[in-house]
Amino acid sequence: MAHILEERGLPTTVLALALPQVEKTRPRRAVMTPFMLGRPLGEPTDPAFQRRVLMRALNLLERTDGPVILEHFPDDNPSWFDRPDWVPAVSLTAPGTPETAGEWEDALRAEMAAVLPVWERFKARFGRTTVGLSGQPPEAWPAFAAAFLDGGLPTVPAHDTPALALRFLADDLKALYCEAVQPDGGPPSARQIDGWFWSETIAAQLLVVLRKTAMGSDNNALKTVGGRFFVPAPFVPA
Amino acid sequence: MARLEDIPEPTRTAVANIPCPAFETTPFVMGPELSKRRAAIVSSAALIRRGDRTFDFGSGEYRAVPGAWDNREILMSHVSINHGRNGYPRDLNVIYPIDRLRELAAEGVIGSVADIHFSVMGSTDPAEMVKSADGIAAGLHADHVNAVVLCPV
Repeated sequence: MAHILEERGLPTTVLALALPQVEKTRPRRAVMTPFMLGRPLGEPTDPAFQRRVLMRALNLLERTDGPVILEHFPDDNPSWFDRPDWVPAVSLTAPGTPETAGEWEDALRAEMAAVLPVWERFKARFGRTTVGLSGQPPEAWPAFAAAFLDGGLPTVPAHDTPALALRFLADDLKALYCEAVQPDGGPPSARQIDGWFWSETIAAQLLVVLRKTAMGSDNNALKTVGGRFFVPAPFVPA
Repeated sequence: MARLEDIPEPTRTAVANIPCPAFETTPFVMGPELSKRRAAIVSSAALIRRGDRTFDFGSGEYRAVPGAWDNREILMSHVSINHGRNGYPRDLNVIYPIDRLRELAAEGVIGSVADIHFSVMGSTDPAEMVKSADGIAAGLHADHVNAVVLCPV
């Protein structure tokens, strides 16, 4: 992208996250950062840190020693490291492992009853939510997910296929829990959020079961989507 | 960099081995001092406005992200689930630094912020991106942009 934009007469600078790609494509100006994939500016709710990162990239635009300038940003973002004092804002009690679709629906609904009020605190504090890709309100999710466990292929107007509807419901479920677990204090590390979600919640267990169900489906789209987009690789059961 | 050793498999191998185009030319476009630049963001996060159609899998399309959009209505619809998504719920600027650019413009560090920014979806075959890059370039020129900040996720 940077190369083509430069060819079209536009000066570019890149906040780069993956060195192998930078070494292969050799963008004209790039700042390599040590941040995790998904965070090119590094640290949420830290304008001063973000500004340092952005200025490193912008300042490259005034350099004349091209055609390839690569700098390395020296610092990790603060929430790269686990916060030892962090406690999940949601305390959940494991109800045992559901078996039938109806039991999964009930279990998720019961868990979400505890999660939703805390999620409201997150929204009130930050004035936003990233929940919204599924095209369904959270109250509809347990029954919708359970329908797939029962062999159904429901969809919603926001998405063309059942596979997409379920895929984005999975995204919304993860987003809601990610927000609900951190309504107070500074940001926990990504590892802490992921560790809590994938080890402590019925929602995560349900995604693992939905993945298995989808991969056994005769619906090829659902098979593909379920296998690749419900459960991140580190949390797929062996 | 996002340390390869910290990226879980299979994403680590995918990042290390992602096919990238080789270019025969090295265009290097200069411009005026920073305080006279008009800056735009190009994000690979498949940004949409709440309620808009999500990016299709493997799509090489691009979307305009008007600066007038409310930050609270901007969502990431990227296909990958193997990059971190739990920073941007607290702060959109961690993937799309629009507020930081506006602050820099207000202070005179940069000249101005573009009216229209753009988004594509990373994890897409670069060959699929060429037409989109042409469209994005045309939009940036129309907005008199002379500083493009690329923010891959």
